[in-house]
Amino acid sequence: MLKVLLKKQLAEVFRNCWFDAKKNRMRSKKAVAAWFFIYLVLIVGLLGGIFTVLSLNVCGPLVQLGLGWLYFLLMGGIAILLGAFGSVFNTYSSLYLAKDNDLLLSMPIPVRTIMAARILNVYLLGAMYSAVVLIPAVFVYWLEAGPSAARIICGLLLLVIVTVIVLLLSCVLGYAVARISVKLRHKSFFTVLLSLLFIGGYYFFYYKANGFLRDFLMNAESYGEKIKGAAYGLWLFGRIGEGDFPAAVVFGAAAGGLFLLVWHIIAKSFLSIASAGEKTGKVRYVEKAVRQKTVPGALLAKEFSRFTSSASYMLNCGMGILFLIATGVMLLVMGREFLKLAAQALSGRQDSIAVLLCVMICMIAAMNDMAAPSVSLEGKSIWIPQSLPVAPKTVLRAKAAVQLILSGIPVLFASVCAAVVVPSSVPVRLLLCLTALVHTVFSAMFNMMLGVKMPVMNWTSETGPIKQGGAIVVSMFGGWGICIAMGGLYLLIGYRIGAVPYLLLCSLLLGAAALFLLRWLDTKGADSFAAL
Amino acid sequence: MLRIEHLSKRYGEKKAVEDLSLHIQAGEIFGFIGHNGAGKSTTLKSAVGILQFDEGTIQIGGKDIRKEPLACKKMLAYIPDNPDLYEFMSGIKYLNFVADIFGIPSAERQERIRKYADLLELTGDLAEPVSAYSHGMKQKLAVISAWIHDPKLIVMDEPFVGLDPKASHLLKEMMREHCDRGGAIFFSTHVLEVAEKLCDKVAIIKQGRLVREGTMEEVRGDDSLEEVFLELEAE
Repeated sequence: MLKVLLKKQLAEVFRNCWFDAKKNRMRSKKAVAAWFFIYLVLIVGLLGGIFTVLSLNVCGPLVQLGLGWLYFLLMGGIAILLGAFGSVFNTYSSLYLAKDNDLLLSMPIPVRTIMAARILNVYLLGAMYSAVVLIPAVFVYWLEAGPSAARIICGLLLLVIVTVIVLLLSCVLGYAVARISVKLRHKSFFTVLLSLLFIGGYYFFYYKANGFLRDFLMNAESYGEKIKGAAYGLWLFGRIGEGDFPAAVVFGAAAGGLFLLVWHIIAKSFLSIASAGEKTGKVRYVEKAVRQKTVPGALLAKEFSRFTSSASYMLNCGMGILFLIATGVMLLVMGREFLKLAAQALSGRQDSIAVLLCVMICMIAAMNDMAAPSVSLEGKSIWIPQSLPVAPKTVLRAKAAVQLILSGIPVLFASVCAAVVVPSSVPVRLLLCLTALVHTVFSAMFNMMLGVKMPVMNWTSETGPIKQGGAIVVSMFGGWGICIAMGGLYLLIGYRIGAVPYLLLCSLLLGAAALFLLRWLDTKGADSFAAL
Repeated sequence: MLRIEHLSKRYGEKKAVEDLSLHIQAGEIFGFIGHNGAGKSTTLKSAVGILQFDEGTIQIGGKDIRKEPLACKKMLAYIPDNPDLYEFMSGIKYLNFVADIFGIPSAERQERIRKYADLLELTGDLAEPVSAYSHGMKQKLAVISAWIHDPKLIVMDEPFVGLDPKASHLLKEMMREHCDRGGAIFFSTHVLEVAEKLCDKVAIIKQGRLVREGTMEEVRGDDSLEEVFLELEAE
């Protein structure tokens, strides 16, 4: 039974890989292989690459000091943080809000089996994130310290233990959110607030990471002694990676025991939470005069309602808004000092700083991709825009406009802040702002195009289109790829023509691409949307 | 009001509707009957411009749905078999959204919302999110949203499913009143007794082909509609 349920869920997650919804048929083997290759390159190549470099920098010095356990404590901690960060937001919706909960609960399937299938889904996502940190970390250790049977077995055990800890954290938070949210009316905003606190902590740690790592490596021995003396559990955890079987058994048993306890608590309340309606008081309807909206205005308001109604949508597709504002503030507060250092690093090429700042703002803005899943999120209510007297292109423009507005305003703020502090001429400052804004327009059109090209209309949890859909993956990594190309090309050859012509050229190219995409959305894209 | 000529629609190799022609006049309640998978929903969806068809023409109020889709859609309202509405909106927000799209002035829409929501006993729930509605409540909301812009043609797919007996009765009255005011209604149903009592005309579809069409008297003759339907199905 569990196998059947898990197969159903995985089929849903990876449906886009082997099924072409547009042609209503299975993809060819080559196309499936290409899909998996893209995922592999994006997840393993990019994220794994970052953590391989980190492992290579940290492992050697610590192993030479005989502090291999400290290395595993550090990398294991990062793996837990990343895994929990990656899966925590979908735990609540995956566990309790799946649209097929009622259907499955009405079938002769034990409730615990349904729960296990849902939790396995959460486990796989968390495991995927933590594995991209831990697998390179373990391999680098084997290369550095030399492989042995004990190290290989314990390395694998460490991976399993870390993924269980990630699952444990995700389940505890998902359960807490579920308990609270059944009593809350504005649960989306509560979840966003809670998640922002979590993310704030995560990024605070991340911000401090460089300094912490430097300090950590310089004083590794003294830290090692302190941790070993004060937090025996942490030492034990690190020892697992070094090939310490008793440590693996003790930690494995502790993690397993804790997970069983959480499983028991969740199992006791799963049915009541999954089938619970909101326990908030009923809102009384009071007739009020409303102002008549235009058609584009009504569609725009509808898209904003959709965005703000879902914590998962806001967190996964709108995080760049906060980062852009934070970047602007940070640039104003400490930008000048930072830019002085950057100017020294770039041998006084002041204008390069302006270009790179512009690229940085564009990269952060690329995290805003609310247009990409917006078509898929229509789901089974797609008949509404299709049957109403609204041109498909007007619907698509409203969806793109949400991203344009939500991303454009903070981009303008961040780029103006950058222009204020950057030591460049007025034309460079103006072009910095212009390029960032044109990129925002391009980004909205690009994501909208992906949303139309890669729709997933039959989903049981909105996590599917928001977090796992092809459109969302390509928009995020594709968007970053474009920004990296923009910055990289400038550093390689673009600096020769100077910042003003380069930024002007970027603006022109991005603007032309945005116009082309808008034209496509108005014609072929609109036809595709109408035919969904 | 609605003129369907030689409509054909295929899904891959499968013919869902083949050479179907129907004419629905103003003032008529037109029932559409057929077994599951006969092609009813495909015909209705094609008529309202949701589904692109392969052959034939569909005209609403003299306008071609392919050439002037927006002009046609302005004249009609559609209620699907499963009322998947915007769950993130409240009932009143959804009604205002539909009214905005059809350009209904504020005072007029408020009056209609008051009238139909009171009639269907949904007024007290209008501030609640649609996600908290039962199937029947969603169906009532879909009905109000269809009537809110006073369309000339209302197309409904199994409109009575999920409605309580009182709401079903009220909907039948609303349908009759709408047609008495010069509107037209084209709806599919499996409830033959309802079709028999309510419809001015009826059409029976089997495997995508029209097998009988006409006034109720012409179609059933001296038999009941159920007997005619079962007889045609057995052929």
